Amino acid sequence: MIKNYIKTAWRNILQNKFYATINVTGLTVGLVVGLFMLLWVQDELSFDKNNTKAKNIYKVGIVGGTGISKQIFSHIIAPVATFAKSEIPEVKDAVRVMPLGDAPFKYKDKVFYESSFAFTDPSYFTVFDFNLVKGDKRNPFPDNSSIVITESTAKRYFGNEDPIGKIVITGQDEQNKVTGVIADYPANSSFQYHVLMPISRFNDLAYIKSKKSYDNKTIISSMDADWSNFGFETYLLLKNDNVNTVALEKKLQAIHERQNPIDAPVPYLTQPLLKMHLYKADGTDAGMSTVSTFAIVALMLLVIACINYVNLSTARSMLRAKEVSMRKIIGAGKFQLFMQFMVETALLFVIASVFAFVLLILLLPEFNQFSGKQIALNFSNYNIWLCILLTLVGTLAASSIYPALLLSSFEPLKALKGKISVSIGNVAFRRILVVLQFSASIILIIGTLVIGNQLRFIRNKNLGYDKENVFSFSMRNDMQKHFDVVKTELLKNPAVLSVTRAGRDIITNGSSTGNIDWDGKPANSNMWFNQVYADKDLIPFFKMKLLSGDNFTGVVADSAHFIINETAVKEMGLKDPIGKRLRIQARNGTIIGVVKDFHFTTIHKKIEPAVFQYQPNYCWKVYVKTTGRDAQQAIAAAIASWKQYNNDVPFNYAFLDDTYTKMYTMEQKQGSLFNLFATIAIVISCLGLFGLATYSAQVKTREIGIRKVLGASVAKIIRLLATEFMVLIIIAIVIAMPIAWFAMNSWLQDFAYKINIGWVVFLFAGGGASLIALATISIQSIKAALANPVKSLRSE
Amino acid sequence: MIKITNLEKFYRTEEVETIALNKLSMHVNTGEFVAIMGPSGCGKSTLLNILGMLDDPDEGSYVFNEIEVAHFNERKRADLRKHNIGFVFQSFNLIDELTVFENVELPLIYTGVPTAERVKRVEEVLDKMQIMHRRNHYPQQLSGGQQQRVAIARAVVNKPKLILADEPTGNLDSSNGNDVMELLTDLNEQGTTIIMVTHSEHDARYSHRIIRLLDGQTVMENIMV
Repeated sequence: MIKNYIKTAWRNILQNKFYATINVTGLTVGLVVGLFMLLWVQDELSFDKNNTKAKNIYKVGIVGGTGISKQIFSHIIAPVATFAKSEIPEVKDAVRVMPLGDAPFKYKDKVFYESSFAFTDPSYFTVFDFNLVKGDKRNPFPDNSSIVITESTAKRYFGNEDPIGKIVITGQDEQNKVTGVIADYPANSSFQYHVLMPISRFNDLAYIKSKKSYDNKTIISSMDADWSNFGFETYLLLKNDNVNTVALEKKLQAIHERQNPIDAPVPYLTQPLLKMHLYKADGTDAGMSTVSTFAIVALMLLVIACINYVNLSTARSMLRAKEVSMRKIIGAGKFQLFMQFMVETALLFVIASVFAFVLLILLLPEFNQFSGKQIALNFSNYNIWLCILLTLVGTLAASSIYPALLLSSFEPLKALKGKISVSIGNVAFRRILVVLQFSASIILIIGTLVIGNQLRFIRNKNLGYDKENVFSFSMRNDMQKHFDVVKTELLKNPAVLSVTRAGRDIITNGSSTGNIDWDGKPANSNMWFNQVYADKDLIPFFKMKLLSGDNFTGVVADSAHFIINETAVKEMGLKDPIGKRLRIQARNGTIIGVVKDFHFTTIHKKIEPAVFQYQPNYCWKVYVKTTGRDAQQAIAAAIASWKQYNNDVPFNYAFLDDTYTKMYTMEQKQGSLFNLFATIAIVISCLGLFGLATYSAQVKTREIGIRKVLGASVAKIIRLLATEFMVLIIIAIVIAMPIAWFAMNSWLQDFAYKINIGWVVFLFAGGGASLIALATISIQSIKAALANPVKSLRSE
Repeated sequence: MIKITNLEKFYRTEEVETIALNKLSMHVNTGEFVAIMGPSGCGKSTLLNILGMLDDPDEGSYVFNEIEVAHFNERKRADLRKHNIGFVFQSFNLIDELTVFENVELPLIYTGVPTAERVKRVEEVLDKMQIMHRRNHYPQQLSGGQQQRVAIARAVVNKPKLILADEPTGNLDSSNGNDVMELLTDLNEQGTTIIMVTHSEHDARYSHRIIRLLDGQTVMENIMV
């Protein structure tokens, strides 16, 4: 029986190559793109699931400040882990990770520049499932000089030699002995530290040896006594999975406020490990919305592809009516016919799937490069195959069941007499499908346009400072000490216009404090300041506008001077800020200037209060303004100067324009993906429309013939054929607009500074879709209209 | 074999009701060859469809092999049909995508006959219809006469007790038409009951009895000698 089905199906495909091609093309394209997107979604959702205890692991965060200066800290202070372990019974274990980057590791005469290494507790290897292939899980760091590295790092350092016991040099001739090797992290792990050192070593270096102090008076005995260093990712392993995390947060807060009352109130947050990748510490979105958007768009594309198939096969079912009836009269049961048509779809589907699969394999490297993923189609990851299988089966079911039901339920007599054309000719269902397809396409087109406009807005946004032709790099120890010499040297180069330095990256500042006070500070104020450590010429360098007061002059007294931004003035509620007293942490001083607001973080966030402090000794970031044309010369000059101080460390620099653009990589990717999706959606939809128009012209051959004989012009006939479909496109536009407006408006909500969507976008999307659809229909309509009526009437 | 009593069938549209069969009664004995004649619109085809269980009557009784089938549901009718009745149509109604062999084989597939048995029976019947040499051709590659022979082969391959023929020679020239009538006569002589709707007095003469219909009623019966 099944052989017979396949045989019939195959011959049917061969006989109707035109429709088969349309169907296979539509399905293949839909499947390839749908699969890629769903693989991406699957990968995003799989992060950190490889940890067997993942359900019981939580990352601890802290909320600082309120209102506009509210901050969420996902790195916290070191003592929390220690107290939690000893005082909170639900906590079974804790892990701290203090990530560091940018350091040279030397082995023999080779230097390896590590950008991802961290200090951590030994529990890192027992709480998480990172596979320690060499070394002792219970005692991974026998002493403070121990390090654990990943397999690929070991390979990089030592080739095929046994890494255990090898000595690697860091810093000022510090010896590190490899005591363990862990398997490389899976690509979907949030943890990617290639070199791990014991956190006790950090304690030793930063506290015991260097006698750490924030006010030059009190020496902090250890990191467990330091309530100011927010540098530690802290993970708690809970005893079971029904721990009340709200209560846990309260307990953590109580410990903190007891130990360091000055911070109160300090609300705590606990975030499940499994949510870490897609959510921020406070549970707000950090990628999940993109994941769901992609999943929805993937389904939309697959549905569009299915609709093509359903539309064409039901439209053409009229032509199959005679065959179906005959089969019924001969004795075919409804189920047998149903199966026959299912097999028919399945066969077409297998062809499309094979093409899709080949394309999937061929395009995977490009996809991985584009998406920054490392998805591999190997047989060990059954989730990937499940994802592929579900997509294929789901699409097959969606596109096969309805046509099969429809075809198998023909009443044989009516069908034989040709009366079936009336009931199937009632095309309401197909019209709805076309409307759906085009609505989806138009939504995607509008999405593309809105994202594009917002990206253009971001690119052209006046940030309140001049970042044109400026590159920056971070100094290391010696160089920082000799900054004045470096600056003088650089300025000698004609390509360098000016040079300055600051504490951090001006584009993404990311340093803030709530330990502040000023005259008239309201008792309930919990305001936080973004701190910008500046040299005296930072403000003029970036052409920031001083609204009142003066800039730093570089005198010693400047260390007690502050320049604040407009928002700070507003938030502090100051009428005349110049000369007012302000304390930032341990520094007491006066406000000497107010600078016009500028963007020191992404435009997703509103501009927050900021304070400039004259702290040249804490300025590690150098900014070099070049003439633009001779930027390469300026970079060469910077490299030459870099080499005098850090011969063994590679020179890393970035133009501010690039750093700025990179902040919006996600949005740019979304933009180009949407572009791609919209194109594919419209192409598939048009394929279906083309098929339907062809079919419609065929069915109407006789009508067109009669009309022409009676004197209808070619133009009138084209209009007759095109109107039927254009009405659908217009309905689709009407449906798509509010949905797209709503969706894109909520996408824009994520930006504090954004465009208005505006009617032009809708005009473009609607007009564009209409034109493309019209062109598609016209090809067939014109052909039908130009046909010789005598011929078409005779063929009837 | 067949006994119908007071059979009625109406066709309704929103405004018009047409009576296709008006309290029609008749019977057909096993082994008979009956021709049904009458002008267009007299109800011949409706009658044939009801006899073939493709359609159900609105009123009246239809006893087939001593079973009342007038109110059978579609599934039961289909089941009875596929084991007992073969159809021959004016326009052959072969399936274009299937070869001669596959077309004839189809009823056997639907009744679940095993492959080896199918091949044997199809070959047997193709041989009998003298179209064995065309077994791998598609319908479009055959002449009208050959196509009708394939259709007859398909109708008889399941060894039905009754063959319903709806103007079987309507699309054929006279020589091919005569061949088809000879074939039907042969089948009848071997015991198959045949009911044939025809416009052709010539064809009707092959039958044992002619039932003439007008406006959904029997107006005359001729016994052939």
